[in-house]
Amino acid sequence: MNARGLTTDVLLGVVPIALAVAVWQAISSFGYAPVTLLPPPGLVFARLAQQLLTSSSYQQAIAVTLFRLFAGFSIAVVLGVGVGLAAAASPAVNAVVRPIVRVLAPLPKVALYPALLLLLGFGHESKITLVAADALFPILLSTYFGASMVEQKLIWSAMAAGTPRRQILFKVVLPAAVPSILTGCRIGLVISCIVVFLAEMITSTEGLGHLLVTAARTFQAVDMFVPLITISLLGLILNGLLQGLRVWLLRGFPEV
Amino acid sequence: MIEIDRVSQIFQTSGRQNHLALSQISLTIDDGAFVAILGPSGCGKSTLLYIVGGFVNPTEGIARMKGKPIAGPGPDRGPVFQEFALFPWKTVLGNVMYGPRQLRVKSAEAEAQSRQLIEMVGLKGFEDFYPKELSGGMKQRVALARTLAYHPAVLLMDEPFGALDAHTRTRLQNDLLNIWERDRKTVLFVTHSVDEAVFLSDKVVVMTRAPGRIKEIVDINLPRPRRRADLLLDPRYQKYVVEIERMIDDTSEDGLRP
Amino acid sequence: MSMVRALISRLAPLLACLGLLGVWQVAALVLNNDSFPTALDALRAVPSILGDKESLINIGASLRRMSIAFSVALVVSIPLGLMMGRSRFVAAFFNPLLMITYPVPKAALMPIIMLWLGVGDIAKMLVIFLGVSLPVIYHSFQGAKAVEEKMLWSGAAMGLTALQRMIRIVLPAALPEILTGCRTGLVLALITMVTSEMIARQSGAGNILFNALDMGQYDTVYAMIIIIGAMGIGIDAAFEKLRAWLVRWSEPGFDIPLSFA
Repeated sequence: MNARGLTTDVLLGVVPIALAVAVWQAISSFGYAPVTLLPPPGLVFARLAQQLLTSSSYQQAIAVTLFRLFAGFSIAVVLGVGVGLAAAASPAVNAVVRPIVRVLAPLPKVALYPALLLLLGFGHESKITLVAADALFPILLSTYFGASMVEQKLIWSAMAAGTPRRQILFKVVLPAAVPSILTGCRIGLVISCIVVFLAEMITSTEGLGHLLVTAARTFQAVDMFVPLITISLLGLILNGLLQGLRVWLLRGFPEV
Repeated sequence: MIEIDRVSQIFQTSGRQNHLALSQISLTIDDGAFVAILGPSGCGKSTLLYIVGGFVNPTEGIARMKGKPIAGPGPDRGPVFQEFALFPWKTVLGNVMYGPRQLRVKSAEAEAQSRQLIEMVGLKGFEDFYPKELSGGMKQRVALARTLAYHPAVLLMDEPFGALDAHTRTRLQNDLLNIWERDRKTVLFVTHSVDEAVFLSDKVVVMTRAPGRIKEIVDINLPRPRRRADLLLDPRYQKYVVEIERMIDDTSEDGLRP
Repeated sequence: MSMVRALISRLAPLLACLGLLGVWQVAALVLNNDSFPTALDALRAVPSILGDKESLINIGASLRRMSIAFSVALVVSIPLGLMMGRSRFVAAFFNPLLMITYPVPKAALMPIIMLWLGVGDIAKMLVIFLGVSLPVIYHSFQGAKAVEEKMLWSGAAMGLTALQRMIRIVLPAALPEILTGCRTGLVLALITMVTSEMIARQSGAGNILFNALDMGQYDTVYAMIIIIGAMGIGIDAAFEKLRAWLVRWSEPGFDIPLSFA
């Protein structure tokens, strides 16, 4: 795609967003909706900017949410990659893990949330655990599939060069599975963003989700939009960072 | 150097049927010989190579290297595969250095050796390229350099030029012979191309189609070094090719007889 | 011997379930915490929930909302995704919008939507609709994009119009991928439904859960979790059978069964 095509695409893509914002503005300006239900975009974005830049309590809320997000996501990555690799490497582990995953994967983990609240309390732990539980499976599965589909000849080449069996997993299988693992991580990251926010909405005493629910209870429409837009932006930024990491890590791999 | 003793290979196909790929293969390969294994598709020639490489265990019989039974892969038998099998996360230099590093050669020395090899296969200047940036012919050169880097006593080549276009193939055939002339390793070269087999090797092992058996072993008495232009016009070369092609035609019909 | 093996692998998920329940039982007995009843206690509470008329109505309402929203989402999303897949124009138009809304938890829109539409069914169905649409659009998009150009050329040579090509070539060819999206969407529908009910308590399975939590009926809480879990597994398994049958002609790829919040 040449540069001209790219710019056309970008411009084209901006249209529906701009259109949506314009419609939003129109609805508020023409008074089709009361300010209490749908505040004008200008007001929302101004409030967003104000909260982000000047309010330390808002920044604190972002920090709390981010902390829970990263903690849960990291646990999911470590467990998911570890178990996924183990299952790909050992038929015994595979036989045990596979049916468990088949049972647990379609389960709506959010249904476990009340149990987590009972067991771990209403603070960070329950949220982090829920995030980890939800983000775990895509990462585990993509690691498993990536590792088990590594080209046989790659392994043979390494063995012929003298790599002992026990090192093959880390020297060949893991690097070759990285593209697949990163795909799973991307999905896991999005899930983490969603889950942490929702968990905070259901019950919490701090964090972005909590701010939304609080604003809802006090009918502060503007303050409802602000955390929502914030989590959206956070998701976009984190996704972008992961993509950048992916491009760098996979600079040698052929395009799929 | 290599002894293949009454080796048979049975595979279980998905239908739970048994497929006899190789049947009672016995073959001795001398030190420094360039031996081609030739046959139609499905005759088990790659399987035979994998057995010598230690990647596959024979169902019956045994393969020996210098008198000792072959138990697994190792740096004394280096493979070069048709699919190149380069490590995509490493550069050309990284790939070639892999073997020496694995054998605990010091980094600086491994690098120097590898650069020499990369130059020898004609890829000087491409050391920091990733495999995805290379053409098929270049990738195969890297694969060859990577295997040579750990100085195997035997080169196991599995239709290495099969995935390349005709022009690149002839160039690489020439280059392979030039490199081989230097230290005359033992080479086992699997191919389905008759003229490639005759051009490259000292001995051609002609196999029947499945179940694979050795139909005939043809000694190729053509002088070295071999130049393609000269050989194509040499009646002795032509005679070998015609003779062996007739053998393959016969073996192909074997399968149709009731 | 291999017959025993085949039998074991068939029963493996069931064995896994029993295994997990076993671990739960032991852990609960060891921890001996009021708020962590044993698996058996929870299981014993299940029939009383299922027997209770009001609970059944709640659960039924949940499922009804879910099915309607899911179906509407399919009707809207699949054509949109297919069009995006075959037209760079359409794709460029919608892509950024979708990318921005992707990380937004649709269930989080509940309070806002509630503000506008009240606490009724429509609000919940809208949220489920939004949640399901995204993966279905995305997978339809990918599936349509991957359809071989040459197949379409063959169709054009046979005289098929653009619309006919879309329906008779692109749709079937992209079906495996579309169904993967549907499966993800289905799981998401269930989750969004439960979550939105947890946030906007009023009726439904999620509501039962949190009511029990508030009232300290811990057995009911865990029993409800088992029920919701069973629903999730059951729906997923049923859909998987349907999917496998619908695309029995396709080559096996692999799909990552996803579980969103």
